[in-house]
Parts: sequence; C-alpha cells; structure tokens
Amino acid sequence: MQEKVDITEVDGLIRSIGTGAEDLISILQLIQATYNYLPESALRRISEITDITPASVAGVSTFYSQFRHRPAGRHSVKVCIGTACYVKGAEVIFDAFRRHLKIEGENDTDDDALFTIERVPCLGCCMLAPAVMIDEITYGFVEPGKVGDVLCDFLEAQKAEEKAGAAIADGKEVEGEVRLCLCASCMAGGSAVVHGELLRQVEDLGLCVKVKVVGCTGMSYQAPMIEIALEGAPSFRYGLVRLEDVKTILLRHFRPVSMANRVSAAVSRILERLLDDDVGEPVTRYAMDLRHGPDSMYCGRQEHISTEHCGELDPLDIDEYKESGGFLAMKRCLTERSPDEVIKEVADSGLRGRGGAGFSTGIKWATVAEQEEKKRYLICNGDEGDPGAFMDRMILESFPFRVLEGIGISAYAIGATDCYLYIRAEYPLAAYRVEEAIQICERNGILGENVMGTGRSLRLKVVKGAGAFVCGEETALIAAIEGRRGMPRLRPPYPAEKGLWGKPTLVNNVETYALVPWIMRHGAGAFAGHGTAGSKGTKAFALAGKVVRGGLIEVPMGITLREIVEDIGGGVQGGKRLKAVQVGGPSGGCVPAHLADTPVDYDELVSAGAIMGSGGMIVLDDSDCMVDIARYFLAFTQLESCGKCTFCRIGTKRMLEILNNLCEGRGKPGDIARLERLSEMVQEGSLCQLGGTAPNPVQSTIKHFREEYEAHIDGRCPALKCKALIEYRVTDKCIGCTICAQNCPVDAIEMRPYERHEIDSEKCTRCDACRQGCLADAIEVGARG
Amino acid sequence: MELVIDGRLVEVEDGATVLDACRKLDIDVPTMCFLDGHEHFTSCMVCVVQDLKTGWIIPSCSASAVDGMRIDTCGEKVIEARRAALELLLSDHLGDCEGPCRQACPAKMNIPLMIRQIADGELHDAIVTVKKNIALPAILGWICSAPCEKACRRGQIDDAVVICDLKRFVAEKDLVSESHYRPRCEPDTGKRIAIIGAGPAGLATAYYLRQHGHSCTVFDEQDEPGGALRNKLSEKELPRRVLDAEVARIKELGVEFKMSMCVGSDISVDELKREYDVVVLVVGNMDNQKAARYGVEMTDKGVKANRTNFVTSDSQIFAGGGVLGGGRMAVRSVADGRGIACSVSQMLAGEEIMGLGKQFNSVLGRIKDEEKSEFMKGAKRGDGGGLSGDEVKEKAQRCLHCDCRKSDSCKLREYSDRFKADQNRYKGSERKIFKSIWEHPEVVYEPGKCISCGICVKICAHAGEPLGLSFVGRGFSTRIDVPYNDSLAIGLQKVVEDCVASCPTGALAERD
Repeated sequence: MQEKVDITEVDGLIRSIGTGAEDLISILQLIQATYNYLPESALRRISEITDITPASVAGVSTFYSQFRHRPAGRHSVKVCIGTACYVKGAEVIFDAFRRHLKIEGENDTDDDALFTIERVPCLGCCMLAPAVMIDEITYGFVEPGKVGDVLCDFLEAQKAEEKAGAAIADGKEVEGEVRLCLCASCMAGGSAVVHGELLRQVEDLGLCVKVKVVGCTGMSYQAPMIEIALEGAPSFRYGLVRLEDVKTILLRHFRPVSMANRVSAAVSRILERLLDDDVGEPVTRYAMDLRHGPDSMYCGRQEHISTEHCGELDPLDIDEYKESGGFLAMKRCLTERSPDEVIKEVADSGLRGRGGAGFSTGIKWATVAEQEEKKRYLICNGDEGDPGAFMDRMILESFPFRVLEGIGISAYAIGATDCYLYIRAEYPLAAYRVEEAIQICERNGILGENVMGTGRSLRLKVVKGAGAFVCGEETALIAAIEGRRGMPRLRPPYPAEKGLWGKPTLVNNVETYALVPWIMRHGAGAFAGHGTAGSKGTKAFALAGKVVRGGLIEVPMGITLREIVEDIGGGVQGGKRLKAVQVGGPSGGCVPAHLADTPVDYDELVSAGAIMGSGGMIVLDDSDCMVDIARYFLAFTQLESCGKCTFCRIGTKRMLEILNNLCEGRGKPGDIARLERLSEMVQEGSLCQLGGTAPNPVQSTIKHFREEYEAHIDGRCPALKCKALIEYRVTDKCIGCTICAQNCPVDAIEMRPYERHEIDSEKCTRCDACRQGCLADAIEVGARG
Repeated sequence: MELVIDGRLVEVEDGATVLDACRKLDIDVPTMCFLDGHEHFTSCMVCVVQDLKTGWIIPSCSASAVDGMRIDTCGEKVIEARRAALELLLSDHLGDCEGPCRQACPAKMNIPLMIRQIADGELHDAIVTVKKNIALPAILGWICSAPCEKACRRGQIDDAVVICDLKRFVAEKDLVSESHYRPRCEPDTGKRIAIIGAGPAGLATAYYLRQHGHSCTVFDEQDEPGGALRNKLSEKELPRRVLDAEVARIKELGVEFKMSMCVGSDISVDELKREYDVVVLVVGNMDNQKAARYGVEMTDKGVKANRTNFVTSDSQIFAGGGVLGGGRMAVRSVADGRGIACSVSQMLAGEEIMGLGKQFNSVLGRIKDEEKSEFMKGAKRGDGGGLSGDEVKEKAQRCLHCDCRKSDSCKLREYSDRFKADQNRYKGSERKIFKSIWEHPEVVYEPGKCISCGICVKICAHAGEPLGLSFVGRGFSTRIDVPYNDSLAIGLQKVVEDCVASCPTGALAERD
C-alpha cells in the first residue's frame, strides 16, 4: 500500500489535539479527516510522540467502525440500513450499488478509487427510505434500477457546483424527460389529470420532451408529483402540482426557440413555491437539515415538550430562544432554588430516563449529589445508534439551546463543573450546531466561567463518537470519552458513584435533558399531569416504516400504538394491513397488531414483549417477514457487540447463524428451541444491556409469530420476503415489452419482444427491478419450487 | 461486611469481590480471564455465581461483595450458565486437545508424544509412552489395523505418518535391547486376580494389574499363552519370536500362567471366585452355553458388560475383549485389558468403578485446504524415506503436532471436563480458519484457541513491553495481535514466559 505521509504534518495534527490518553480518538479522527484513512506510519507516530501506547492505538483504531486502515475512494457512498430503510429494501440497494460499481468480495472501493461504499446503521432520515448518502448529499427513495442515475446525478452535481445555473436546458439539443407516477395512490392525488395536461402542453408548445410514467416514489402524499429530468444536469422534483402550474414548469426547463423570450425571471420565482418543500433540493437530493418533514409533527394527539415550538425556532438564534421562555428556568434554578430543591422537583415530576432503560432521573441526580467526592462530571449521551431512531439528532439539531439549558440546570443540581456531550459521528450537523450554541452561550455569559453571573463555572465539550453502538451504554461511553475501546464494565459501581476518571458522573440522554427546562418552568405537577401512573410526561418517537406519514413525533405517555399509527401516521401505506409495530429497536420487540391498543408506557410495553427504548418505532405490514425482522435486529447487535463477554460475543453470533439459516432455507427442526435457549443464556449471562437485550427482537417474534418460524423450517416464507425461499415469475399478463429484460441487472431475463418473458431463477437475485418496472403488472412473486 | 455463600457466612473487607469471598471459604470457583494481581476484565463468564436476592447470574471476579449478599455457587442455574459459557467458547475453539490419531486409537496411546520422542531420538522415552497404554506394542506393530493412521491429518495433505511402523520400530528395538523397559510395579497388595484367557486382552490385563501391585494368575486351555495371536495368525503375519518375546516381558513382571487348564472342567468358576478376589473373563469368544458355565448374563452379541468399566452381571467378574462380541480388533482387546485393570483396581480400593473414564476433547475435524499450510509450518515435508536410523526420525518429523501443546494445563479443557461441556451444542454454521503463527523463537501462537480474555495484553502493558500485544477489531472478530501487524517476536520481548504460562488455553504455547 502506498503511503505518502509527511511526518511533520502528522506531528502538527497530533499536537493540535493533545497528547493525553483521552485525546486518542480525536487524534485519529483528525488524521483520518486529513488522509481519508489511517496511514500506518501516522499511527506509529502517535505512540512515538505521545504517552499513548501502541496497544491503545491499535486497540482503539480497530474498535470504532469509523476508522479505516486502507485508503478510501474519493467519495463515500453510505447506504442506510436503518430499520425503515431495511424494510424498504436497503440491502437490495446496497447490492445494486456494488454491482453497478463492480465492487466484489471483500473490497469496498471501486477500481477507479472514486467511490467507497459502506452500510451505515442509520442516517436518521427514515421518511426518505431507502436512503443513501453520498458525501454530504442524501438521496431518498432510491430504487435498485436507479443507482446508476444517482451516481451520475451526484457527479453531475459536483460539476454543477462549479458552474452554477447550468440546470436550465438550452432547448435545442437537449432531450429531457418529464416523469410522473400513475399508481393508485398518486392517481388519487390527481396525477392522471396532470398527466393529460402534460401531454397536451408538450404538444402545444412543441417541446422535444418525453412524458414518462414511472414507478412510485412512495411519496404519494405529495402527489401529483412531477420530476423533470434533463440530460447532463440535475433534475428537479415538484410536489402537489396544480393543473395551471404544468405549463410554467415546462417552460422553466424547456425553451422552444420561438418562445424563448417568454420565459422570464418572474416565472421562475413563482416556481420556488412549488419546488417541493419537503423534498426541497433537486431530484431526490436533500439538504442535510431538510431531511425530516414537518408533516407528521402536527397530526393527531401530540404534545410538544422536548420539541416545544418545533418548526418555529431558528436553532442558533439565542434571542428567539429566550423570547420563547428559554433560559428562564435555568436562571430561576440558579438564583432562586437550592440544588436539592431542583432535584426534588425533577424527582416529583416522575421523569424517567429517555435513553431506554427508564431509570428515575431524580434518583440518579440525587445519587450523584450525595457522593462524598466533590469533583463531578456530567455527560450528555447523544450516541443515538439505534437504527430507525433520530429523535436525539433532531433535538440536538433543532433545539441545541434547550439541551444546553437542561444540562445547565442538571449541572447545578449535582454540582458538576465539566460536561461532555458525546455525539455520534454520523451526526455532523448536530455536533456543529451544539458547538456553535455552546460558543453563543459562553459569549452571552450563560455557560462558561461565570454562569449567569453566579460565579459558578460550567465547561462544555463536544466529543464526537467514532462509530460504536455499544457506546450508548454508559460505562462504554465513559471508556470512549477516556480514549479507550468502548467496552462496558460490570455495574455496580454505577457511574453516579464511579464514572468518568473514577469520579461521580451523571449520564443522561439528550431527550431527558431537553425535558428538564419545561419541567422547571411549569413545575413537576404539570409534567406529571401528562402520561400514566408509572410513565410521566411525553416521549419523542421516530415514526417510520410502512406508515403514510412518518417523522418525528412527541406524544403523551399513555397514547396507544394504534392512535400513533392511525391518527398521527395516517395508517399503513398502500392500504396494506398492520402486522406489528416494532418499538425499541434492537433492544425492543414487535408488538403484534392485535395488541395495538397497548399504551406507550414503560411497563405496559414490556408486558407486550417490547421496551420503551430510545424511541424507534417502525410500522410493519403484511409484506414484512418477522423472522427476517428478527434477523435484521440481531445482525445489528451482533455486529455492534464489543466482543468482551462470551455470551454476547459468541452467543449472538450463533443466534444470528440460526436465523440466517432459517431465512436462507437451511432451517432445521429444533432451531426454535435452540434460539430460545440461546436467547435465555445471552440475556442472563451478558455483561451489559446490549447483550442482555439483544435477544428481545427474537423472543418477541417467536412469542407472537411462532408459526412464521415454523414455516421457515419447512422452507416457506409466508410474507414472501426471504430471497432464498421465493421466486420471481412472469405471468401471462406479459405483453412482451422487454422492459424487464432491460432492467434486469444480472441478465436473468432473455429479451423476447412480443413474447411472454421468462426469469431464470438461478441467475435471479430477487432485486425486484423487473417487477418495479413492469408496465403490465406481469411479474409475480411466489414461494420457491 | 458479611455475606452468605452456599449457606456459609463469610466476612470480607470493603472493596472485596464476590470471588475474594468465595476463595476465603475455599470454594473453588473456575476462572479463566481473571489473573491475580491484575484488574478484572469480566470476559469469559465461567466464574458466574447467582445472587439469590435478584436471581441474577453475576460474574464473581468483578462483582463487588455487598453486605448481606446471599450467593449460590453450585446450584443448577450456576452450573448451567458456566457450562453454556464454556460451550460457547468451545463452539469458537479451533483445535484438538489430543491429536486425531490418539482420539482414533482404541488404546488412546499418546501417539504424537511418541512420535516427537522418536523424532528427538529419545527411543527409551518413546517406549515408555507406548507401553503406558499398549501392553503388546511389538505384536500390534505387526498386526494392528491402525485406525490412527486413517485419522492422521497428514493424510489429508499427502500421506499419513506411518505411526504403526514407528511404534513397531520402537517396540522391537526395546525387545532386543539389553536394558529394555520394565515398568515399575507397586508393592504387593495381597489381592489375587484370576484371568481366564491368555490372549491379547488377558495379557494386557495382567500387565497393568501387576503394575498396580496385584498378583495375577492367567488360565488358558492352550499350552502356550497368546490365544488367537498364536492360533489364528501365520508366522508371516506375526512371527513367533515377537509373540514369545513380548509374552516374556509380561511374565517377567511376575504373572503366573496356568496353561492347559480348562475353567469349567479342570477348575470351576465358583472355585476361582472363592480363591481369588476378582475373576476376569477374557476368553476371546463366547456362546450361551459357555456363558452359563461362567454364570454371566449374555446379550445377543456377547457377554453383557458395562462398556466403560467392564462390570458384568456378576459383581466379582469383569469381562472384556472378544467376549463382548463383534469381531474385535486386537488393539481393542489390548485397550480393554488396560481398562479392566483400572476398573479392578478401583473396585479393590473400594472406589467407584469408573474405568479409565473419558476426558474432554476438543475436535477440529477435517481441515480446509487453506489450513494445510498452517499445519505444515512445523512439519517435515516429503515422505521421509525408509525406516532405519535417521530415516525413522524423518518419518517422525512429518507429524503435524495436531495435539495441543497445553492439553494438560489448559483451563478450557479442565473446566469443559468438569462441567461436562458439549462442544457441538452451539456449533456454528461455519468455523473460522485455523492459523498457526511461528514468528517468535519460543512461542507458537494459535489465534483460533484464543478466548480474548486479554490476560496477555494486561501482562504486556504492566511490564511496559515496548510494543506488546493488543486487542484488534471488535465483536466476534476481535483477536489478539501485535500492534501494526508487527511480528510476535517484536511484540513479546520481556514477558514471553509469563504470557505463555498465564494464557488459559493453548493459544500461546511454548514451542517444543
């Protein structure tokens, strides 16, 4: 491997961070940012000029998934395999990219070293599923047949950035396409009428434009939607198009010579309104902070506490935050109330930790406060790694001041002077906003050396995670901040007694801190007025999956899952039937449809086989295979296991192997019993809660969907999802149009114009491209054999 | 503070762990990843105990002792959890405790050790190794069907090591040696054993019983000892000089032979039972008529006897060899002889009659093509030539050393044996690839045997090894390696011996 590393430059990088053990992860991140990977000579240099041992450098740099030890391609393609993307075919997308880029075997980079492809647990944009992020650009609703277009679009966008404004076609030579979907739900939105208007206008205006009916983007709630695709330029998407808009849209992009002068700047301006807000950027590209639509935020029975004033506040405008009551609670606490009173208020509110386990926040604070040791630390756990959850990201991005205020109050209550905000690597915007917000607060005397004029100090530091789900576990998180491999240790002692560098440490989750200012402002009673006997207040969820309106929601405790899915989410997509709601991600479980009236409550969810968790909520329909879902979650935890204790390291691996066998047609009688037994052992014997809860998705699906497991042992997948157990066939509806043969990426369909086509099942990879592209609905999926 | 462990009260200082408390009561808690004098790591989970208040399983090495705690260390739940931890470790354990040859050998002779002794030219040591399990090695050298060679892993690469020839070479050398090997016999116990049958099983039984200090009398209808070895084999198959010489070796231990004596007519079984403490029935074959004469129950195959301790329906009579039915290999009969001797001695000592028992064995199984080179790293290439002088050494040097270098000291084996772990219970779909690292002049590192306990990493860090060892990777693919892919010879400089001795398995082992 060629390494061109300037050692003096490396020295400079290292010294710019520091030379202590706790600086290691930051040093590695900076080296990687500079060289795109971690050159060995640079790694060796770390232990030469710092106190960090070679064993630490090797151990830490190979523990976190962010770090690369071989050069990467120029651009990074991150295929999201978060739950929402997974249920919408993310693996097929991943395979399609690899196939398109001709990346094989162990490689992750194409031969031209242009693209490096990787799976990432969650990009936090579940409503755009399946989503892919190329460098900083996010693409949503990616289809397997379109991965080439996505890459082209990305490269074009790169060029276009250089010569801005090249988007409007010249009209003379450019042949463009106007695409729209005519599926049942888009038709319901009026697409058919728009289609007719498009055809008429194209003819009237004499444009060289092809009007093409395409597969649905899944964004039917934006229908009628038009996409303008231009050769050699990024394309544009318009949502909720009205009949009278059609002509204007066409004229914006296509200029018939005779009418050139009629296209004015004014027309273009009107159109800004139509450029779909949610979709925002051209084509299927999304700017980073526009990824979550506000759609679902106001529907149904919601109450906004941690997300108070959502959609109204400029995240970094401190005056606006103050005008809405911000920092008032902190001011009052620091000047009018004793720390004990603050703790009592929080305890009385009944607030329980929002990170997943639901431990009483008041008790946790009190435990730290009563330690003899006076040096205390405070940690904000923003290592939201749960695939299919993005509440913390959204709160950090949208309400950084609220989180900081919550931290300010907590720090006062427990007597901490130093605070670390651990934010996962995949959330650069969140980290950026929080860092900015800290600086703004320090400039305004709210945080820093003289907090609100009280003479107290509170120093805050953002620590960026390096990719390890297990660091959401508090003892592993502490290890990571200390610059070690993120491996948990046995509790007790709890961090409240012995935490960061052996000192009492309060570790709370982002959402927990974000709730604190409201509680202090409105009083414990007001907060406790929301929710159920054992679960007070509200909870934010990332609602996604097969639901019409996904998004970040905040609901009062006690609301039922059915209310969430139907009233807030608008019901199951495409008229399918609700099968289950997965709550709590990889530590949680599937609540089946017949238990949909289960209320959101720490204890009720546990009795339904799930957990509150951090807030992932994925809606599953009839087409989802529950064995596959269990496998998906277990594959996640297995990959994220730190490898320390036997039960989790090997036990989850063995469980996953059994699930893989089931999904791939190699199930054996007795597999269910084996899974149950292993689940029990892993649950009881694991050192930390990553392992302890890893079997939950398996146990809950066996409990509620045992017959699906049994079917898999017999080689059947009732949901027709597991690739090895299904087959694609062409029915006699086939009109011989050859589109399937053209779309097939692996030549499994021979081109036979005007004849019924056939699919070679051996070659077929079940990528679904033929079915999606078929005009005659002539591709059926059935059980294999 | 005080806590109750297995119903016993114990007092410990603040800061003590549950393991400390157990040790104070002399309760033997198994540990693998724990090393005295170093901080706990809590990885292997075989030290788990149950907290009776919560019902939880907790790792005793790192769980703080809390006043008023009630702990159970030997209940079913604890044993099950420990067994499960071991079984999971075993499911990811690449290696054989004993070589495949030895596992295939009915007599369980330590073949790899014999081969290494031959390779080192230590022929006397080699015959001691052989005769520890095989009473008639020269004879078997001629006639053994050698299941060991069928199992020899070298056979998967080119040709099996010629184990049987090597054994015969060693045994015949010893037969003609002036200072031949003569095992030490325990002082006379005063116990008398009648052995009916002077065939391979009878001879072997006598050979080992004499070593245990019991007096032995062998009865046989034939006029010379040997049984089927003498009657059924031609001179060409088994030269009489070999048979006679090896029988003489048994006689010289003080075994009495009563030839041309037919038990049942010349002397009754009841008489034997009165005159002797134990009767051993090893007459080679048996029918119902004969069985009635001896007063033992039959199955449709042969004499009804427990296959591990050779006890028959008559508690004073043991039976083995051919009488158990089904055309038995000579080596099987010889093996039975040793097993019978062991059982008889146990009975005479008033112990539980367990026979030789069976120790836990990890099994790697058939190797993959890419693993062949790993096994060849310490072995001589080629077929090794003929069978005289140095060529014997070369033949022996072809051995792959499949057996574990720490089969006698490995904690994983010890505990797997103790907790009756089953390596196949959690068997994975696909096993990892066996690797063998020979970078260090004193050490062989086999990562497939590593349990990622991190003891070596700690020892290196503690001693300030300049490079040392490190965890590399995460999760299931975590391994212990030298930082920056450097050689083990650079990584391990100061604390080689300590690391090897503290490694709980055969992952880090001394070269031999």
